[in-house]
Amino acid sequence: MSAPTIGQAPPAAPRTGRPATRRRSVQGRADARFGLLLATPALLLVLGLVAWPALRTTLYSLQRVNLAGEESWAGLANFRTLLTDEQFLGSLTTTVLYAVGFLLVSTLLGLAFALLLNETFHGQWLARSLLIVPWACPWVMCGIIWKWFVDGEVGALNGALYQLGVIDSYAAPLSDNTGALVVAVLAGAWRQASFTGLLILAGLQTIPRELPEAAMVDGANIWQRFRHLTLPWLRPVIVVVVIINTIFGFMQFDTVWALTQGGPGDATSVLSIYLYQQLFVYTNTGLGSATAVVLGVIALVLGFVFVKLLYRSTAIAEGVE
Amino acid sequence: MRTSLLRRTLVYGGFALFLVWILFPLYFTALSSFMTPSEIGSVPFHWLPEDPTLANYVAIFTGDSAPFSSGQDGGIVSSTDAVARLMPAIGRSLLVGFAVVASNLIIGGAAGYAFSRYEFRGSTLAYLLLLASRVVPAIAIVLPFFIVFRQAGLLNTSLALVISYNAFTLPLAVWLLKTYFDSVPKELEEAAKIDGASRLRCLLIIVVPIARPGLIAAGLLVFLEAWSEFFYSLVLTNGLTVPPVVAGLQNLQQFSWTTLAAATMFTVVPPVLIALAFQRYIVTGLAAGSVK
Repeated sequence: MSAPTIGQAPPAAPRTGRPATRRRSVQGRADARFGLLLATPALLLVLGLVAWPALRTTLYSLQRVNLAGEESWAGLANFRTLLTDEQFLGSLTTTVLYAVGFLLVSTLLGLAFALLLNETFHGQWLARSLLIVPWACPWVMCGIIWKWFVDGEVGALNGALYQLGVIDSYAAPLSDNTGALVVAVLAGAWRQASFTGLLILAGLQTIPRELPEAAMVDGANIWQRFRHLTLPWLRPVIVVVVIINTIFGFMQFDTVWALTQGGPGDATSVLSIYLYQQLFVYTNTGLGSATAVVLGVIALVLGFVFVKLLYRSTAIAEGVE
Repeated sequence: MRTSLLRRTLVYGGFALFLVWILFPLYFTALSSFMTPSEIGSVPFHWLPEDPTLANYVAIFTGDSAPFSSGQDGGIVSSTDAVARLMPAIGRSLLVGFAVVASNLIIGGAAGYAFSRYEFRGSTLAYLLLLASRVVPAIAIVLPFFIVFRQAGLLNTSLALVISYNAFTLPLAVWLLKTYFDSVPKELEEAAKIDGASRLRCLLIIVVPIARPGLIAAGLLVFLEAWSEFFYSLVLTNGLTVPPVVAGLQNLQQFSWTTLAAATMFTVVPPVLIALAFQRYIVTGLAAGSVK
């Protein structure tokens, strides 16, 4: 009621401000609509091609299908069967062994390759080109190539070791339980070490040149520079690589299938092969889907750890900067 | 100190081991493909073919499963069919690859651009869920695809592969392209908008040409993934594309490793050449796709 004073000028501001905000929000809403429109096909496809099959698989794992194809609710019976199935438990052990071997060989070799290719030497350009070659080979081809490479009759590995005098007679590692698993790890790691090397090398190349030089001036030796400079710098990349290698190790099918089809016996029957057999050989959709859920949970847990670790390491990196 | 003998020994020793690790298995495969079965099995091992032969490659082109047998075992018709499937499989692999790349660049490119430029209600959550879907293992969700495709009569068709491959390549494409669009400055688009260009026109005329390197990188990675895919092709089509056809040759009796080696070369050489030719794009794509 009191007369407006000069000091109470603000009421005038909205009058000029409001149309501007409205215009911006109209613009904003149209922008949002355009964005949603562009993103919708991809979102629908991912819902239909990933989320729905994942949900459906989970439902199948809780069902029992009889010979007539009728489905009935089974609760957790399929999972209980898995826990008492020696083949499944054996397969789980094999998978863990495989994944650990795959992770170690791929990561350590990849790290070694990256460190090597980050040095300056004659032939460096050649080595950097060659690094990508195994990565470009399809997984299943890595299995085929290695199967024959270590073959007990025609394999070149035997040929070379024999001529070098390392072995007295040709060996056939794929007909031996441990040998087959070792070759399966090597065949997979042959490709994955390249992937690892490519990523770590890309990380190494982002280290500013001044840093190692400054450390050298300060008298740090090679190991100290690696331990306190290179390794912390690479931490985010290494976290990524370790998690990816672990997931790939647990899910590996192609290489092992081409190499041994799970044999000899069940020696290399990893979970993915057990899953394939349950679904498409024994057509036991319940047990197969329960195995799929186990694999999916492993992947999700690893993915969750991945995000956590990555978040922490970027937080650390940002804290440092 | 930097060129000390120890360092040089380590570097060149490491380089030698690196060469052996990468090239030895591949050299053996290439060597085998130019040999006869009896020569590859000779002891001591022949490091070069004494009498190089192209019979293995000819066998693949002509669909002959036993190029080195003397003709008494001509009765194995099924294995002849298996080899004859290789050439058509190469064509189908290319077709499936191109179709998946096209759909991924259009659909995934649109989504990647949207997530990079336009915020909408739930856009962050949608993007995170899209990324999270990368974690779901393809092998674990194959059964619903199999059942639906069987009902729809799509088993054993290329279409089944084009559809299902989108499950794992589309999130990858969105991810790569969103990361790429983030690195493209907005100023040009804003200038074009002030000049009155519509959002769609802006995207097509200004953004797509600038984003070409990103589109190439994403397209290459998606193509290589489609070309290499084995499990879905094995399960959903009983081997329409190259990898399962080649892997299937191993199960045939009378089939020699030397011919399989030639088939393996056919499968491995195209992606290797692509990777070598576009190394820079691919490494950038890999690094962006996994680190961001």
